[in-house]
Amino acid sequence: MALRVPKASGPQLFREGYRIMQGVEDAVIRNCNAIRELSEITRTSLGPNGKNKIVVNHLQQTFLTNDAATIIRELEVIHPAAKLVVDATQQQENELGDAANFVVVFTGELLAKAENMIRMGLTPLEIAKGYEMALSHTMEVLEEICADKIETVESEKELIKAIRTCISSKQYGNEDFLSDLVAKAILTVLPKDPSKFNVDNIRVVKIMGSSLYNSQVVKGMVFPREPEGTVTRSKEAKVAVFSCPLDISQTETKGTVLLHNAQEMLDFSKGEENLIESHIKEIYDAGVRVVVTSGNVNDLVLHYLNRFEILVIRVPSKFELRRLCRVVGATPLARMGVPMPEEMGSVDVVETIEIGGDRVTVFRQVEDITRTATIVLRGATKTYLDDLERAIDDGVNIVKALVKDNRLIFGAGASDMQLCIRLISVGEKTPGIYQHAIKQYGEAFEVVPRTISENAGLDPTDVISKLYAAHHKENGESIGVDVECENDGTLDAKEAGIFDVLLAKKSAIRLATETVLTVLNVDQVVMSKPAGGPKPPGPNPHWDDD
Amino acid sequence: MLSLLNPKAESIQRAQALQVNISAAIGLQDVLKSNLGPTGTTKMLVDGAGAIKLTKDGKVLLTEMQIQNPTASCIAKAATAQDDATGDGTTSVCLLVGELLKQAELYIREGLHPSLISDGFNLAKNEALTFLDSFKTDFEVDREVLLNVAKTSLSTKISSKVVESLAPAVVDAILTIRRPDEPIDLHMVEIMKMQNRSASDTQLIRGLLLDHGARHPDMPKQVKNAYILILNVSLEYEKSEINSGFFYSTSEQRERLVESERKFVDNKLRKIVELKKEVCERDPTANFVIINQKGIDPLSLDVLAKNGIMALRRAKRRNMERLQLACGGVAQNSVDDLNPEVLGWAGSVYERTLGEEKYTFVEDVKDPKSATILIHGPNTYTIQQIQDATRDGLRAVKNAVEDNCLIVGAGAFEVACAAHLRNKFAAKEVKGKAKMGVYAYADALLIIPKTLAANSSYDTQDAIVALQEEASEGYKVGLDLKTGMPFDPEVEGIYDNYRVIRHMLHSATVIASNLISVDQILRAGRSSLKEGPPQ
Repeated sequence: MALRVPKASGPQLFREGYRIMQGVEDAVIRNCNAIRELSEITRTSLGPNGKNKIVVNHLQQTFLTNDAATIIRELEVIHPAAKLVVDATQQQENELGDAANFVVVFTGELLAKAENMIRMGLTPLEIAKGYEMALSHTMEVLEEICADKIETVESEKELIKAIRTCISSKQYGNEDFLSDLVAKAILTVLPKDPSKFNVDNIRVVKIMGSSLYNSQVVKGMVFPREPEGTVTRSKEAKVAVFSCPLDISQTETKGTVLLHNAQEMLDFSKGEENLIESHIKEIYDAGVRVVVTSGNVNDLVLHYLNRFEILVIRVPSKFELRRLCRVVGATPLARMGVPMPEEMGSVDVVETIEIGGDRVTVFRQVEDITRTATIVLRGATKTYLDDLERAIDDGVNIVKALVKDNRLIFGAGASDMQLCIRLISVGEKTPGIYQHAIKQYGEAFEVVPRTISENAGLDPTDVISKLYAAHHKENGESIGVDVECENDGTLDAKEAGIFDVLLAKKSAIRLATETVLTVLNVDQVVMSKPAGGPKPPGPNPHWDDD
Repeated sequence: MLSLLNPKAESIQRAQALQVNISAAIGLQDVLKSNLGPTGTTKMLVDGAGAIKLTKDGKVLLTEMQIQNPTASCIAKAATAQDDATGDGTTSVCLLVGELLKQAELYIREGLHPSLISDGFNLAKNEALTFLDSFKTDFEVDREVLLNVAKTSLSTKISSKVVESLAPAVVDAILTIRRPDEPIDLHMVEIMKMQNRSASDTQLIRGLLLDHGARHPDMPKQVKNAYILILNVSLEYEKSEINSGFFYSTSEQRERLVESERKFVDNKLRKIVELKKEVCERDPTANFVIINQKGIDPLSLDVLAKNGIMALRRAKRRNMERLQLACGGVAQNSVDDLNPEVLGWAGSVYERTLGEEKYTFVEDVKDPKSATILIHGPNTYTIQQIQDATRDGLRAVKNAVEDNCLIVGAGAFEVACAAHLRNKFAAKEVKGKAKMGVYAYADALLIIPKTLAANSSYDTQDAIVALQEEASEGYKVGLDLKTGMPFDPEVEGIYDNYRVIRHMLHSATVIASNLISVDQILRAGRSSLKEGPPQ
């Protein structure tokens, strides 16, 4: 770094190209604006009537979705403050799978209110303090307004209650069918101790063609490929799983075949064949009828496997192989040889069937409880299937949250309205300057019913005032927005069966508030000149897709 | 006019040079001012690649921002040296230097020679250090007090909610690794990061955390009463050094060669398995864990898994050393003389999966000489912020333990010292014009309480006057940031480190008097004919 003699007038402390934004006007308000703009983008996707967006990312991949987490991830936000919101959304999506859009919208609304308050003359510090107090009140109120409980996750009816709302915000109109599908899949894999439920055990296979209503749940696993050999069906078979290629064993050190004459060469080939045959025969004698491998299959080996009528299939992904092992109860073997009885797994049916134009191999268990269930999704286009998959992922993730905390709150904006009213009254009781921030925090919750009704084409002001009136009455805490608009734009969430999961809501509110606090506490943004050269490659989000 | 310098050289002289230095120091002071204290605001740094960093830590700011101005970078270097030596007080040094120059400027404008000010600064510094010794509070190592020290240091870096969980972790980590009559080695506290949950879940693990898991799906994932074999033996087939090859003419021969290749590794495995059996026979509830610095190939993993042994391969060298300290046991470089004495022990060893990452916890060890602080955070910048804070917190606690004394914080020392310098020292003991330097020094010290008040949006003058009035009655008073009124920091448990303040007084004075004495700034011109890059 070359040091230069600076001019006497005003020191230039930093390297050229640095941009410094300082102070309330320049840093805080600008950050607020940036985040509000981001939330305006996803706001129209909130709720059941949310609009879809088409996002084309830098890899020219097209996404058609109304899932906020996906939209925001693919948008490649570069504004530093907006990036904080992106991080918060991803966190919510990864841990709970639901309410990601709520995080963005609520953060935007809180900051909009904060901006107003700053203009009124409050300092960001005071607002932050007030928001922090409001957050702890909100957590208490949420505990109080908990509406219902999932008694047991083992009942399909109870499960659907929770999953339906979540899916309907992504796939409105198909929520009954999809939540049915998800509940069925979950129940097939639910272990005795529900807290050990692993979302990884529910797989989704997307096959283009036909319609959504031909989708189904398969107990077991589905691989989108055909077996290697001629055998394509097997019943009640023992399974051996090899994590190595099915080939003649090789030495680590380089080996050379030493032949003295033609006869020896003939004998060598013969010996090789005999050796393989004896290996395969041993495997056959042990009772194995299905062989799974992660590597290649030698032609000679394949020949003998065919001859002994053993079904052989390749599963190249290490993770899929491990899942298959869980399904059939086998131990993967690192060397080609005869498996011990306890290392063998068993499967009820292996068959190759044709779905649409694709031939798939199904490993199916007949008994009720299996370790893995696969949802075979049908649909017209790839983007539609991707969107369906995201909705299903969200539904499955909800169960993970339910297992930790089984409480529900009213959906359809009813609980948000309730929070709004209760927080405003808390604010009124709070002495000092913080009451403004608490009241504004409460009013920020209004954004949910307002947005839902806006997206549904209702008059938001009208609906909000009706909701206020309803919630001030006794037993009115379950009144929410009616997106169908059958009566006057409001409905009873209890009767309509619209419930949100308490844990997801809690986490979303907390993440949004923490992001807001961070933004309010930043008084200076220092940006260095963007470095040239190619960007560092990010982690591949589809590393496990196979 | 005769030009002595290379035509491309730049130079400024005398009053102008001084002016440049002073304004640079004040400029840096302005940048860092808003960070001081628990109510300071954060700065958001965006680096060239677009990554975000949020910080309140002066040290982080100074190292992350590329400072170009020579005077400012000079101060920044001194401040980072402060951090290297003591772990705290970076922002204070920058503030103090700026303020010293600002105060000196007043007197210089009135015609006082800079060297006299510099003399006054030095006199004042020496007196301040003597006063510091009389001001300190002695203490014995006590968890409660240390907790307060950690809280004071941490709360200037991160939000108060996180401090509540981080402070006990930091203090307990130091108490765990502390051995009487030995210097504290902070390398024995490992800081690990996990991106999940919220920042307040940060915890202390009395043991070890390895950032990889058992490599075989059938290995136990969770064991209690674990005997740990620390190995540095390759359990893979190793190629010979010389070029070698096999010759065979039938496939049976080849099969035999394949077998014999494995034999070498299999023998090693057999010895390990024998040891495991021996241990488990003596203690039926015992489990066996291998942590190997070298590799273990899939076939060997298979053998170990069949014998119910949990094995981790390719552990980091640093972890191997800490593993011995945490669990006891001796690392083995060969499997020839294994016996139960070389094994370490841990109450529980278990694996956790987090996204794609696997972590192995080694916990409930008997006499840990090493501990791990596990930082949770919802995103990278939070984790980074906590990590920086943890580092400073550890240093603060360590300093307190090693110093055996503390200084009450919240600006109490600065107020008391300023009063002492002005009223007692300068008035009675200093003769001549150097007195002015001492006055300047005394006034400059007040920048710390002033900034604390300003950052909490209180009136600076009100706060200072109130503090000075209380202090003149002989109390140790600091500024209560909740009310803006004077209070006793000892009651609230706000303590600074003795060595931090000592170092701060030293380095700030030296830098300030150096900068005042500068009367010319020169930049050498390029001698080559080529035009340099346009700047």
